[in-house]
Amino acid sequence: MTVSQISVFTESKPGHLVSVLQKLEGAGVNVRGYSVSDTGDYGIARFIVDKPDSATAALEAAGAAFTVTPVLCLKLLDKPGELARVMGVLAACDINISYSYSMISTYIIINVPDVDQVKGILEKQPVEIISQSDITAGVAAR
Amino acid sequence: MTTYDISKKGDALRAASAGDFDQLPIYMPEMECMDRAGIRALQLEKLQAQVRYAYDHVAYYRDEMDALGVSPDDITSLEDVQLLPFTDKAALRETFPFGMFAVDMDEVIELHASSGTTGKPIVVGYTRDDMDVWSDCIARLVQMAGVLPSDRAQMAFGYGMFTGGFGLHYGLQKLGCAMIPAGSGNTERHIQMIEDYGTTVLIATPSYAMRICEVGEQLGYDWKRSPLRVGLFGGEPCPPALKRELEERMHIVCTDNYGLTEVMGPGVSGECLAHRDQQHIAEDHFLWEIVDPDTGEVLPEGSFGELVLTPLDKQAIPVLRYRTHDLTRITTSACACGRTLARMDKVRARCDDMLIIRGTNVFPSQIEDVLKDIEEVTPHYHILVETINGMDALTVQTEIRPEAFSDSFEAMNAIKAKVKAKLDGTLLVGVQVQLVEPGGIERTAGKAKHVTDVRDKA
Repeated sequence: MTVSQISVFTESKPGHLVSVLQKLEGAGVNVRGYSVSDTGDYGIARFIVDKPDSATAALEAAGAAFTVTPVLCLKLLDKPGELARVMGVLAACDINISYSYSMISTYIIINVPDVDQVKGILEKQPVEIISQSDITAGVAAR
Repeated sequence: MTTYDISKKGDALRAASAGDFDQLPIYMPEMECMDRAGIRALQLEKLQAQVRYAYDHVAYYRDEMDALGVSPDDITSLEDVQLLPFTDKAALRETFPFGMFAVDMDEVIELHASSGTTGKPIVVGYTRDDMDVWSDCIARLVQMAGVLPSDRAQMAFGYGMFTGGFGLHYGLQKLGCAMIPAGSGNTERHIQMIEDYGTTVLIATPSYAMRICEVGEQLGYDWKRSPLRVGLFGGEPCPPALKRELEERMHIVCTDNYGLTEVMGPGVSGECLAHRDQQHIAEDHFLWEIVDPDTGEVLPEGSFGELVLTPLDKQAIPVLRYRTHDLTRITTSACACGRTLARMDKVRARCDDMLIIRGTNVFPSQIEDVLKDIEEVTPHYHILVETINGMDALTVQTEIRPEAFSDSFEAMNAIKAKVKAKLDGTLLVGVQVQLVEPGGIERTAGKAKHVTDVRDKA
């Protein structure tokens, strides 16, 4: 159970991120979570959305450089030490996290070199893994 | 032997790659395939008359030649052209607007002006005979690409004072094509017209053709099934990689031609399908020389240097030894297409395009050559030259291809490093590479502006 993350190449200039967002808006896509990282002249904007297919169709039509990556979405308990506990599981298995960001308070996204392996590990742990259909339905409503 | 139908999409290229050039049209075989001795004899005869004509009708040349102690009678061989003074753009500017005209305005039937990328415009005139010669030159080069009288040709250049629009228009019409004078702008309308009118030939700058291609793809237009068969490019140099890409993506054959307003306009030379990196010069109308751009010394055949052109029958403005500032190399060896006219390498660099970066000469065309071989980026680029800490700094911006993008900074930085390593190795100066979004480099309907130089002027 993974969710589809859409990563978009964006230049680090005013208006470029907005232009991507307007394409998503134009396709009626709701952004549920995102992260933008930057190297100084270009960046990668990563989005978790309700309708990945509509989003990719809109980006494709605009000729954007983007890619869809399966990532894990976890729902953590809202208490001290919870993030450390989950990360600790991966550390104990010697797994490096490529990147991670939080969506809505206790919902976090993580990407790792082997998503399926980590999914298997975490399924045995007391942590909730969120599916794309949960995202589409709206995690906030859960 | 295979028989080709040149009016069919793809057949001109198929015939050329099979070496069946006898099935491709030649507009004026009596001139284009004349033996070399015949060409030289014709050139000498025309040169003698033209020098006499310029001396008698243009005060500027009479004064210049008198000052050098040269008389029209001194021209007894083609080499004697070297006795004559060069003409630079400055001479045309100083005599603006009509000081170089050799005829009364009664005889002039059209005026054009240079696109004015540098300085004040140059205005030129044409008599009826000049227009005929020009149209013939265009008709020749479009036939090299397999254009036929039955074709429908859509103009995507702006008309106006620029020689490209009307020059191609009249030449294609002279061949017998149905002209569709759409003009520049409104890319979607161009695509609609191609489909509605069954356009078979598109005349555009290569960068605008790419824009049309991309917009068509975004709209879901199927270029493979489109009636469009030939792209005729001009207005700016056409990088070979861009041309190849357009041929593949639009399923057409593309050629480009060379020319400049000061000696006529487009049509001085054109690409045949045998040597795609060269262009046949209309030697019955233009005498060429290759000179050292610094000393003006004439160089032997095959040398790389500045192209100097003397139009041999221009009536309205009989320019002598025009310094084009374009760098090329010329060969008179036989061509598989059957033409005997000399071939010049496509102009990839102008003397004034050259950038001097920390003392090293850099031509934008070198950057193009490097990028075309790197599959992760497109051949579109922009060069930014700045002064940073008192030193020249060169930044090359290039577009990432959508399929080369991955969700990883390591992978993106590796592409950047690869582009940088290849550019550094070729240019012999360090460059910064900046990846931009697909479509992020401006495609223009006019001359693509590849260089922004904002260095502090010493």
